Amino acid sequence: MASNTSSMRDDGLRRPWGAIVAFLLPALTIYVAFTAYPVVRTLWNSAHKVLPRREVFVGLENYAALAQDEIFWRSVRNTITWASISPLAEVSVALILALALYAKVPGARFFRIAWFTPVLMSYIVVGILWVWIYNFDWGPVNAALRAIGLGGLAKAWLGNPNTALPSLIVVTTWMWIGFNMVVLLAALHSLPREVIEAAELDNCGWGQKLVYVILPLIWPTVLNLIVLSFIGKMKIFDLVWITTKGGPLWSTETVSTYVYKRAFEWSTFDLGYPSTIAAIWFVIVLAIVLTLTLALRQRSKLEY
Amino acid sequence: MTKPLKHSLLIILLAGYTAFAAGPFVWVAIMSLRTTSEIMADHFALPTILHWEKFPIAWFNSNYNVYFKNSAMIVLAAVAILTIVGAMAAHCLARYRFRLNRVIYFVLFSTIIFPPQITIISLFQILVQYGLYDTRVGLTLVYVAIQLPLTIYILESFFARIPNDLFDAARIDGYSEWEIFWRVSFPIALPAIATTMILNFILLWNEFLYAVVLITDDANRTLPLGIQRFMGDQLEDVGMIATGLMIAIVPVIIVYAFFSEKLIQGMTAGAVK
Repeated sequence: MASNTSSMRDDGLRRPWGAIVAFLLPALTIYVAFTAYPVVRTLWNSAHKVLPRREVFVGLENYAALAQDEIFWRSVRNTITWASISPLAEVSVALILALALYAKVPGARFFRIAWFTPVLMSYIVVGILWVWIYNFDWGPVNAALRAIGLGGLAKAWLGNPNTALPSLIVVTTWMWIGFNMVVLLAALHSLPREVIEAAELDNCGWGQKLVYVILPLIWPTVLNLIVLSFIGKMKIFDLVWITTKGGPLWSTETVSTYVYKRAFEWSTFDLGYPSTIAAIWFVIVLAIVLTLTLALRQRSKLEY
Repeated sequence: MTKPLKHSLLIILLAGYTAFAAGPFVWVAIMSLRTTSEIMADHFALPTILHWEKFPIAWFNSNYNVYFKNSAMIVLAAVAILTIVGAMAAHCLARYRFRLNRVIYFVLFSTIIFPPQITIISLFQILVQYGLYDTRVGLTLVYVAIQLPLTIYILESFFARIPNDLFDAARIDGYSEWEIFWRVSFPIALPAIATTMILNFILLWNEFLYAVVLITDDANRTLPLGIQRFMGDQLEDVGMIATGLMIAIVPVIIVYAFFSEKLIQGMTAGAVK
């Protein structure tokens, strides 16, 4: 097939369909079988009562029940809170650290490698570790509070409905700061030296240089990291499952843990209702991510 | 502010954050070498006697060898399939212009933001139907599927930057389309391919949600499931759990010690573009 002498110019435009199909077929087969078909089937499930041996069509009944389901809306609130706070916390701390390393401190390479470590661990390992850190009797957090005479503030951080979710947000922030820092540092290092030197010649102070020169230049990277962190937190399951299982009193219930519970833990034997949750959540996530991307794009256009 | 003062403030900030980031690991490493009764006496003391014997005990008493083997088999197989299948698709999307090209690219790419719930319940049903539920083969195939979009996304952007002249030259030399992929594109893209392999390896090695839904038998458990079970079994035995955690942490640290730059590149590959 390739031995045909075709002119060199339009080689890029040639369409060897046999090769194209052969190259794409394995990937598309896997995609259709394990992603596209399951998505469609979940949507189908959401209009049915799906019992182990039979399916009963129930129309929009599941959706109506979902609207009344307070635990579901609680889990949506928790997840969105998590996904909104995390990106800001992670990226802002990471930016401070990246700027510190960018200022040419000795041992920058070591710090960069050391700070990145937490993100390489599984949420399971990290979760168990932090259950201990937050332990009421002997965890380092309470031990430190007692050591400085603030023992009254010591509490069971993950056992208290008011502090459980913030405590878990601290864990994901701890885990992901290093990752964000490395990406930001790479962006800083790729800035053209002349621009920064020009700013220095103009007698810009550090603060001005940061706000007027550096931030606008690395803004696309910052936005990328925010969206990425947001998407990651909308999916969160492992950490909650190993630490609190959504408790106490649903205070850390996320949509992922709730779907899992309804599908595989509660003995209702119905896969239809959890599919409805998944379908609605799917729509919510897509809508938020699209809005976020469009809104931030718009903003970044105005910046320039 | 004077320069030395500024400098020492900076050092304090950096050292403080390092303690915060690394402290938990140091603590668990110390506890992994102490017995639970020693730990209960003082949680933050250094070990007086190094109890290395706890490591073989944790390894053999809790099926870690089985979990390790399962994780290694499933993840390595998935990474191998992902690399070949992903690179073929990425090469095709980057190289050939045809109708639907961008449609396929966009459909694959948008899957990255899908919440896992949208597939996981029906994947459970499908794997049960085809007798793949609670098998390592089933989990491997699912792992390939969940990492495929990101793999193709990263590789496509790399393949697209290879100059067309190279391919024209290869065609003149009489290379078939397959040979062009296998002997031109693939070797040139090796750095990017290594990056995606590392990324997929780490993400799948740590994967928990799909494993907990699709695996039940202890003989098929992967490492994260094993650690969870181990914690459930030992509950009050903090010292033993610490040893179990260290067994999970050490391999990552060892790989990281040798390939830190490559690992960082791999993990951040999706974010930089």
